[in-house]
Amino acid sequence: MERKVKNIFINGRIEPTFIADSISKHSAKTTIGGHSIFMGQVRKDEIEGKLVAAIEYTAYQELALEKMHQIREDIFQKYPLHCMHVYHSLGTIKAGEICLFVFTSSTRRKPAIDACAEIVERLKAELPIWGKEIFEDDTHQWKENS
Amino acid sequence: MEIQIISFGKISEFIAHQKLEISDISNTDELKAYLETSFPLLSNMKYKLSLNKDIVQENTAISNQDTVGIMPPFSGG
Repeated sequence: MERKVKNIFINGRIEPTFIADSISKHSAKTTIGGHSIFMGQVRKDEIEGKLVAAIEYTAYQELALEKMHQIREDIFQKYPLHCMHVYHSLGTIKAGEICLFVFTSSTRRKPAIDACAEIVERLKAELPIWGKEIFEDDTHQWKENS
Repeated sequence: MEIQIISFGKISEFIAHQKLEISDISNTDELKAYLETSFPLLSNMKYKLSLNKDIVQENTAISNQDTVGIMPPFSGG
């Protein structure tokens, strides 16, 4: 069986134009009736009086891609999807910029919506990715997913 | 035997990537005890080990030239 592990990592922020292009590429797939999109954006949190300026993302890439491949296979087995796209940023992403893009498409809306939500939850829990919150005064703390 | 240690996130701030010569350690539970003695900060933290390309779920045998990753809780997305 062919086993193709896709790369999900993008260096730097995910550009809104990249997302727009990704959407427009699907207009040729006319059996699709519903898309669901999740975008993660870096939040300017205030922690003990300091504001988050950016998050620096690092990953154990080899392991993360392997794990994402398993999640992808699970999701395709569970939901009747036409396609699934997942992108996650690496490096320094400023507050207000997009760091995660998950995009699912199906014939009817429900599988796309449910699959998209499940991918986001699993990705946050299972992929070895770490975010370092960098404050405006250049100090930092390591983010923890809630 | 010799193993390769790699560390991530917060843990990379106090454990550098390094080759480790170990003699009395044959599995991941023994390695954990050794690491927590060598790096006391680790014993107060939540972390997981990876062995080569797998996340360690239960005690697993370690072989010469294996790569062990030390990973704090994930925070992607």
